[in-house]
This record gives sequence, structure tokens and C-alpha cells, in this order.
Amino acid sequence: MRIKRRIATAVLVVAAAGLAIAATTASAGSNSSQHAGAAGANKAAAGGVYRVEYESSFDFTGGFDPTGEYLGSAQGILGNLLVRTLIGYKHVAGAPGNVVVPDLATDLGKITNNGKTYTFKLKDGIKFGPPLNRPITSKDILFAFQRIGTPSVVAQYGFYYDVIKGMTAFKTGKSKVIQGIKTPDLKTIIFDLTVPTGDFRYRLAMPAAGPIPQEVAGCFTQPNEYGRYLISSGPYMFAGSDKLNASSCDTIKASGGISGFDGTTKMDLVRNPSYNASTDSPAARENLPDEFTFTTNSNVDDIYAKIGRGDIEDEVPGGTPPPTVLRQYAGSNQLKSNSGDRTWYFMLNLTQPPFDDIHIRKAINWVVNRDALRKAWGGPFAGNIATHIAPDNLLADKLKGYAPYGTGKGDVAKAKAEVKLSKYDSNHDGICDAKACKNIFSISGDRAVEKTMLPTLEQNLKSIGMTLKDRVLKDAYTPIGTVRLNTPFSTRPGWGKDYADPYAFFGANFDSRAITPTGNANRGLVGLTPALVKKFGVKGTVTGIPSVDKDLDNCQTKLEGARPVCYAALDKKLMTQVVPWVPYLWANYTNVISKNVTQWQFDQFSAVTAWAHVAVK
Amino acid sequence: MVIYLARRLTWAVAVLLAVTALTFAIFYLLPPGDPALRFVGKQPTPENLALVRHNLGLDHPWYVQYGKFVKSIVVGDKYGWPGLGYSYDSSVPIRDKIVEKAPRTFSLIVGASIIWLSMGVLIGVISAIKRRTIFDRIAMGFALFGISAPVFWLGLMALFIFWYKLDLTAGTGYTSFTTSPQEWASHLILPWIVLALLYAAIYARMVRGNLLDTMGEDFIRTARAKGLSERNVIFRHGLRASLAPIVTMFGLDIALLVGGAVITESVFNLDGLGFMAIDSVFRQDLPGVLGVVLVGTFAVVIMNLLVDIAYAFLDPRVRYA
Amino acid sequence: MSGELLLDVRDLAVQFPTADGIVNAVSGLSFTLSRGETLGIVGESGSGKSVTNLAILGLLNSKRSLITGEILLHGRDLLKATPVELRDVRGKDVAMIFQDPFACLHPMYRVGDQIAEAVRAHLDVSKAKARDRAVEVLDAVGIPNARARSRDYPHQFSGGMRQRAMIAMALVHNPSVLIADEPTTALDVTVQAQILELIDKVKRDFDIGVILITHDLGVVAETAQTVMVMYAGRAVEHGPAAGVFDNPQHPYTWGLLESMPSVQGKVTHLRAIEGLPPSVIHLPPGCPFHPRCPHRFDPCDKIRPPLAAMEGGHSDACHLDPDAKRRLWAEREAVRLGLGA
Repeated sequence: MRIKRRIATAVLVVAAAGLAIAATTASAGSNSSQHAGAAGANKAAAGGVYRVEYESSFDFTGGFDPTGEYLGSAQGILGNLLVRTLIGYKHVAGAPGNVVVPDLATDLGKITNNGKTYTFKLKDGIKFGPPLNRPITSKDILFAFQRIGTPSVVAQYGFYYDVIKGMTAFKTGKSKVIQGIKTPDLKTIIFDLTVPTGDFRYRLAMPAAGPIPQEVAGCFTQPNEYGRYLISSGPYMFAGSDKLNASSCDTIKASGGISGFDGTTKMDLVRNPSYNASTDSPAARENLPDEFTFTTNSNVDDIYAKIGRGDIEDEVPGGTPPPTVLRQYAGSNQLKSNSGDRTWYFMLNLTQPPFDDIHIRKAINWVVNRDALRKAWGGPFAGNIATHIAPDNLLADKLKGYAPYGTGKGDVAKAKAEVKLSKYDSNHDGICDAKACKNIFSISGDRAVEKTMLPTLEQNLKSIGMTLKDRVLKDAYTPIGTVRLNTPFSTRPGWGKDYADPYAFFGANFDSRAITPTGNANRGLVGLTPALVKKFGVKGTVTGIPSVDKDLDNCQTKLEGARPVCYAALDKKLMTQVVPWVPYLWANYTNVISKNVTQWQFDQFSAVTAWAHVAVK
Repeated sequence: MVIYLARRLTWAVAVLLAVTALTFAIFYLLPPGDPALRFVGKQPTPENLALVRHNLGLDHPWYVQYGKFVKSIVVGDKYGWPGLGYSYDSSVPIRDKIVEKAPRTFSLIVGASIIWLSMGVLIGVISAIKRRTIFDRIAMGFALFGISAPVFWLGLMALFIFWYKLDLTAGTGYTSFTTSPQEWASHLILPWIVLALLYAAIYARMVRGNLLDTMGEDFIRTARAKGLSERNVIFRHGLRASLAPIVTMFGLDIALLVGGAVITESVFNLDGLGFMAIDSVFRQDLPGVLGVVLVGTFAVVIMNLLVDIAYAFLDPRVRYA
Repeated sequence: MSGELLLDVRDLAVQFPTADGIVNAVSGLSFTLSRGETLGIVGESGSGKSVTNLAILGLLNSKRSLITGEILLHGRDLLKATPVELRDVRGKDVAMIFQDPFACLHPMYRVGDQIAEAVRAHLDVSKAKARDRAVEVLDAVGIPNARARSRDYPHQFSGGMRQRAMIAMALVHNPSVLIADEPTTALDVTVQAQILELIDKVKRDFDIGVILITHDLGVVAETAQTVMVMYAGRAVEHGPAAGVFDNPQHPYTWGLLESMPSVQGKVTHLRAIEGLPPSVIHLPPGCPFHPRCPHRFDPCDKIRPPLAAMEGGHSDACHLDPDAKRRLWAEREAVRLGLGA
């Protein structure tokens, strides 16, 4: 019948068209060609494009503006490839990766004046990249700090630099200069601090402290803007930097940003012609690939499929790779797992019953089955069981093996022994019977791991007579960080270091002076004073809260190797006399790389791939 | 007709205002947290927090912010017209974001809609003609599959088979038509088919049902009695009369995909308006959400109007004052 | 009336196999149609009158119907024709108009275009010429301002005008046979008369044969030369109209005549036919009408009465002898008109 034939023809035409499209584009779909390496197959050679995909979005908190950007992976890109600082890291894994080395400075700086004055000299031959192509001077470092001290730019970790003399006065506008930073000549810079700060070098190794050219960045006084106009001081730069017309703020802004970075989905980095490798060290940066591309991909499975096919080299995942991917690469050298210097813990609010009783807090630390909790994260692969506050890397292994509440499966007997001593166990049978132990309000996030951990936790708590009333929220961090909400307990929080000094772990979390009304990290309210109670509207047990402020101040005066020793002692004190946390996991950062990668390293500082040390075929 | 159009356009404006006002209210009355907290780092100082909130305009009550929003749409802001502000998290102007992402969504919609309309009508007509034969049963079985199979599963399966294993298409991502038409088509062929499958199935069933109903009408008997060929009877008389509801559905389906093809866009990493919508929600980027809501609502309103006009065009019994 | 023989239906039977049994829609039907003749086919719903027409036009679904017998159009058996041949006949030699002209016209095309389409179905002419022809026939059926009206849509026509348009559409190819299936049922009484008159005029002007199907005897009385009464798929009375009306032979015909109001005199007794039409799947044995017939007697439920002819070409299917029929009818008429006891 005629209808049938015509329809059949139509179908065939459509199918043929489809196949034609597929045929002409088949080649477009396969692996893009790589630069042929110089030496043999397994040797890391220069050249090629290192392609990375981010899961879902870059998630930059400060628009990649080095003055404000707080996201760890962003700081990794900045520190490895784009921004050199007076002092930097070697961008390797483990304890050596947490050691500071000179970068733009000739040495680690001279410390005088009882640890309150740091003097640095800049190397020769260091320059900004295109379009400026000019030498970096001490004035550029000074400008970086002036920018940190400009409130409108919103330096998200600017408070680390309040120890510089005159910084607060500059911020509030009382002074037009920062008294504590002196630049006697273009190659010398001197920092005067208000108090001895033993980890000041680490603070100088953050991207915000890198040199910034005033002629470009001075045009941007709002947050999230300069990131797209970033002028490189490192081995790579945004593609298209040379095209930026930097003659005036108007021409700069008119460009809308350097073409190599679109702000949200694509970043293309090429070699910076003004970078002089002899001013740097291969121990810190090898700069092997010719180009880096960072793009976003909303489909996680697709990212790993592409890695499997070799269409991309690496990824920045949102969390652990999916279990199927872990199984696929188990035992393969494409699967990389390193300690992320991050502790996952259950938060205990010292002001809220029954957590206002230290015996209850200790009992919980005894009773939780950390082994089972880790299983929810994927088992031993996910990391080491956390037995104290800070990861061993940060404490130079001084507390290695220290497990005041045992490791692994939990100890009900010891937990009950603690409960017996508590005021909430009226008949001293080791089971908490007070009303405060029942239906304790708890907040968890909506992550799959928390859903899986909850039954284990509830079962553990039940054995000492405690029950939870849990509420799942997508954004759990907001309520647990809002002091006046008085949240007693949460399974959500974790803490990763800001920089490789133990202060980054203990300051924000346990200093009473770090307590803020919202976004508070000292969720246990350690060191709470009556003044703070009034200021923030805290309700509950507000007296007798232990404080470690003095210990922190003391440890901050220590230098070098004395620091981990001091902080190790503080860790011990927190675990035995304050007990604000139930730490359970030191999470690993897990990565899958493609077969094209000929060399790979982990950057302990930023807890992502060490871009400075990778190579691709 | 002119008065009718004027009346409809006035309604359109009212709808746009209502929808955006509702979005604003939802964002402020039911948010999971303070959007500003995402942009002040791990340890926000109160000063930074206040500053960021001020930057984002969050220190005014929601109706004041809404008023400013409406004003900037009408008169434009520093980024041009209409003034949609800038994204909270990257300071990229929303207008630029939409202009960049709209072609991706439109490419997806245009291609998919052509496929699903032609396939749906074709299969529906053949099924109706060959009612209860093996072809009809297979076609309706396919329709059931198309309606039931989840889009994300279809997408992942399609990628696995046609890209990962057979290397026939270009995989996820998007290349603009001007850069390379072949790459553009190669990236889009799988999302087109996956998206079209669902709608083709629905349309096939609808066309089949409508056509079967229509073929029982008296004027079909008249057409046959006139001596017209069966093909003429089916297509010129039968299909023409059953098309009107299809046209209505088609217009609205297209409109809803403007901000709604979230799953397809996510699975295939097309980064279009649908993905922008969901991404903005997750990141509490209100201007982003509002931008997409505005565009999506506008699309629905316009398509509604076009569909009504088309309906009047198709069915002369319908006339507007 | 003695024109050329157009249509000769011989022993037509149409069966539909269904899940419940075989439906004998039409059985043993024979009739003829000549030029200039109007044949009125009368019967209730389910009597098989519409099925007969559809069979003539070949519009029954051949997969679901069993048709036997012969339908000779100009001597050619339509039941043996191929679908292509049938399509050639439809609209050209045999045209049909239907009951509800509103539903029978496509609502989305202009009336003139639909008629033009009928023209181009059988003639290879330009669209413009076809439209001219459409205007021509619309004018012929008495539609004023034919050219302007031809550009209207069906919903812009009144009921009567629509039926006129349908008639016009049927006439474009000068068919020999026009089948009108209940053409006036959906129209007002005044318009009915106009349409019937039009059909009659068309028959005379174009010298064609008309089959007029209806359930309304009054319609038939005006215009038909021959009348065939159908019941349960069979003809129960068939003959010249005058004969059937003046001298009805079959009790069913009597029942039909009695259930009509009359303008001649006051009717005291409007008598309905008791009972319901039979199921055509499970026909009662013997005469299909006997369960409802007040005059049934012994052979009626055993032997089916054949269609037997009297003089003058008037035949009926009833066991009663002619004298008994005459007597019984006279009695019934008297009762009906209130004359005597």
C-alpha cells in the first residue's frame, strides 16, 4: 500500500541521516590527540594538555579572587600554578607536603624582636605575566595586604592577618597605611606583629598573601570580581591574558574578564612566558604539561567514564567516587588515596544537657563503633579512624597511636563506667535515665553517609540509655553554626585545615574569641564567658564551661618544632578534660586518574592533585 | 484580534509578576539558610557577613528587594536591559549567563521536538490505521517503554552504548553550532533522542486515540462516500481534525522544557537553562533562580498565546473577539 | 417511471460475526431501482436499511462482514469489484447523503473546498475549475449568493442549507443513483419539506434514481414511487407506493401506518406496535414479526413466510391470506379513525 511505502521511506531517510551525522562526527568523539612525549612510555615528559573536570561546578566562594577565595581546590590551583607567595609549599603528599619553603623570598625570612618581626628579601628575576610583564616588587606584596585590609573586597580569611600591626586601624579607615608592613626598598619587606605568632609563615603561604598588581586589581573593590582578571605570578596564566588591555580601569573592565576563565564553567591555563624557572625549584614546581583545562560536568558518572576512556586526565570530585568506580579501579595504580588532613566528628554542645556533663561526653566517645561508622564511608579505604582532634600529619606524628577512647569497635563497658559517674544516671547502673538523655535534638545533613551512619550511632547510644530526635537538613551547617539556636548535637561537621600548621585546626574550633553569632566553628562553645552568653543569647548550662584560650595563646608563641609538641599537648587536654568532639574519621581524598597521566602527586596543602607535579603523555 | 492580543499580553505581564513575586517569597520565607554564608568562608567575621549581605541586597525585607527587582527589569541595570542583576557566587551578570545558556536549551528543544512530533504522529497514525495488528501492539509497547523509562537511565544507557562502547557520538558536553555544526549535532543527537522518546510515546498514544475517535466521525464516512482515496481520508480529513489538541500540547510541552529539561541537561552536561535553574537553587543564588523563572514563565505565556492563535487558525469554529 | 434499470440487488445478505454470535443484518434482500424512480426504504432502527446502503457503496469493512448475493449497477456486480473500482464508483456513479449534515461536513474546511475536493476526486481539473463547479452546484440546489457562501465554513450554514450543500456535493459528477439516508431526520419540519422537494426536483432535472431511507412513512408518502418495508433485515412488504399505502398487506406496515398522526381526521387512537425489535442475532423461528403480531396463528412461529407477490408487483411476507388481510386492515382503520366500533 502506498502509505506503508512512503512511511517506510521516511523512516529510512531519517535513519540514514542519523547515521551520516554519527559517521562524520565519530572521529570528533574519540580521544583528542596528545602531544607525543619525548622519552620512553613511562617517563614523565614535558608537554600535552592536562584535562580536569570538576563535579557539577567550581563552587568558588570568592570568585577565584585570591584575596577572598577560601575553597581548598581553588587555593590549590592558585598556589600550584598561578600565584607565587613569599613562602610556599613543595606540593607533595604527607608530612613533607606540609613543610614551608621559600618561593618568592630568598629564604624563610629573618625572625627578630621576640618573634614579632619578619624580614624577607625578594629574589631577582621574578615578574608578573602578560599583559604586564613587569618585575614583582615588595610594593606588590604590600598591596596584597592593603587589599586584604579593604573591607569591601571581603577577604574571607583576612582575620589571620589581624596580627599585623596597624591592620585593624587600616581596616577601619583610621590609618591610610598599614603601620606594621614596611618596604624600605623594592626587594625588601618587613612585617611587624602585635603578638608573637609562631605560624605566621604559614599564613604568608596562603594565596591572599601573594603579590597583586595595583594597576589591575585596584580597579576591583568588590568581591568575586578580580578573579576573572587575575594577573599571574606563577608558571601558568589564563589563556588570553596577553589580550587584556590594561591601560586603564575602563579598558580592563570593558573586556569583561580574561577569555581563558569564564567565571563558572571553564578555565584554560597556558604557560606564563614571563615565568623564570630558575627563580623556582623543581622540588616545588615541575611545570610539565603545556596546558591545563578545568571544566565542569554535571554528570558524575560521565566524569569517570571519560577518565576510563582517556578523554580527560583527572577530576575534582564533590566527595568520594561512586562505589562502582572504586570497585573498578581497586588495586589499580590509577586510584590514588591520600589523607586529606580532615577530621569528621560529631559535635557536642557543652551548654546543652546532657552534654554539659563531661562523663556523658566521655561515654559517647567510648561507646561509638568507629569501625562501623567508617564502613558507611566505604570502609578502610575511606581513611583512618580518628582517635583525637587533629590529623597526625599536622602534629608531626607526635600523637601517633594516641587513642584515649580506644580504636575500632567501641567499648560499652567503659562507656557505662563513665555514665555511672554522671549526674544523669540516678541509679548508677551505667544507663542514662534522666529525661535529658531521651530524644536529644540532633541535626544531620542529607549526605548518604550520614543516613548510613545513623542506625549504628543510635544503636550505640541506646546501649547507654540515650536516644536521638534527628532532623535531616540539606544545609545543616547554618543551624549548627548559629549560636542562639543552641543545637545540642550534630553528625554533619568536619574540619579541614586552612594551612599546614596545627593552629589552623585548634584556633577556630576551640578559641572562645573565635565564636561568632552565625557561621560559628566553635560549636561546642568551648571557653564560653558570661559576656559572650549575654551577647549571643545562649541558653542552657552557661557556667563552668572549660576554656583553652590560655593554652592557645601559649602555643602560638612557640616556633618551629616546638609548635607540634605544644599542640599535641593541647589535643590531649581537649580529648581528656574538655571533650567537645567525638572524632571518628580522618578522611582520605580519593582520586582516579587516566592512563595518560605519566606522573602524579598529591598536594597535602590544598588536599587535591598537585598540579605542579603532574605530567601527561 | 488586536484587542484580544492586547488583553492576552496584559495578562502575560500579570502572570510574570505573580510568578516572580511568589519565587521571591518562597526564597525568603522557606530558605534552608542564609545565602550569604556561602561567600564568606569557613570562619565568617560578622563584618564580612554584613558586607556580603549588603552586597547581595539581603539586608532589605523581601518585598523591598522584589520592588527593586521589578524596577531593574523594567529600566535595566548596569549590565544592560533587562536588568537581572548578577549571580551571587560568581558576579557574572545573569543576563550574560542566560544569553549564553539559552541557545543550548533551545538547540535541545528544537531538535527533540522535531523528532518527537514527527515520530509521534507517524507512529500514532500507523497504529491507528493498523489497529490491533502486530505493528500496533509493538508501537504501543514502545510507547509504554518510552513513557516509563526514566530519562536519566535512558541517558546513561545511551551514553554507555553509543559513546562509551561504540564511539558513534561525541558524548556529553556542548559545542555551539557556529563553532562546528558536526560537533554540535554529534553532542546533541543522543539528548535529542532521549528527550524525544518520552514525548514521542505520549504523542503516539494521543494521536492514535484522537485519530481513532475522529475516524468514527460522520464526515469521514462522507469523505469515503465521495470516493476519496484512503490516504486522503486519513490525512486530509482524519488527521486534520484530530490535530488541534496535539498542537495545544506541543506548544505547552515546548514551553515547559525551557527551564525544565533539568535531567537531560544534567546527564548530558549541556549546561543549559534547566541546569542553571537547579544549580542556582542548590547554591541559593536567587538572581539565577529568578532569571530562569522569568525566562521560563515568559516562554510558557508566549507559547500559550501562540498555541491559542494556532488553534483558531486550525479550527475555524474558534474565533476570538 | 419506466426508465432504464440502474440498480439490481439480488438476494443480498450481510452477516457480521461477533463474539456473541452471527448478526444477520440483512437477509434475502432483492429490489431494483430505475431512472426517475424514488424507492423509499422504511424500517425501524436495526432493520438493516443503513447496512444495505453501505453494502451498495462498498463501505462495509470487508474483514468483518460476510456479504453474499449480487449488487448490479448498470449490470456490473459491485460485490465483485476491487477497492479501486469501488472508489471510482463512489461519488461518481452512486452518491450518498447522510442524516446529520453538520457532522457530515468536515468542520475545518470551507464548504466550497469540500465540494471542490469531491470534484477533483474523480476529475483531473484545476482547483479553480473545481471551485467553479462547486459554486455551480450550490446554485443549482438553491443556495443564494453561491460564490460567497462557498467560502463559508459548515458552522456558518443553517441546517437546511447544510443538507442542500450535501446534496450539491453528491451531484457534482452527475451520478445515476442518489442514496439519501434519513436526509430530513435532523431538520425542522418546514425545512424537511424543502429538502424533500429539492431531492425530487433533482431527480427529475437530472433524471436519476433515488433511494430514500427513512423510518418516517410520512416522508415516503410524499415522494416515493416504490416502497419497501424492512423488518429484522428482511423485506416484509415491497410494492408501488400507492398500493402499499392504500392496501397495506403486512401487519407490521399496518402498525407503522397506525402509529402516524393524520391531518385528515381526528385520530382517537394512536396505536403503538407492542414489543421491541428483535435481536438480529437470535431471531425467533418462523416469522420474525410474530412475537409482536396481534394476528399470529399457527404457522407463524414455525415457518418463515416467503415474500410472495400479488398482482401489480406488490409483495409481502405474511401467512395470512389476502382476504383476511383486507378485512383485518379495514377493521383496524375503522378503529383508528374512530368510525364505528
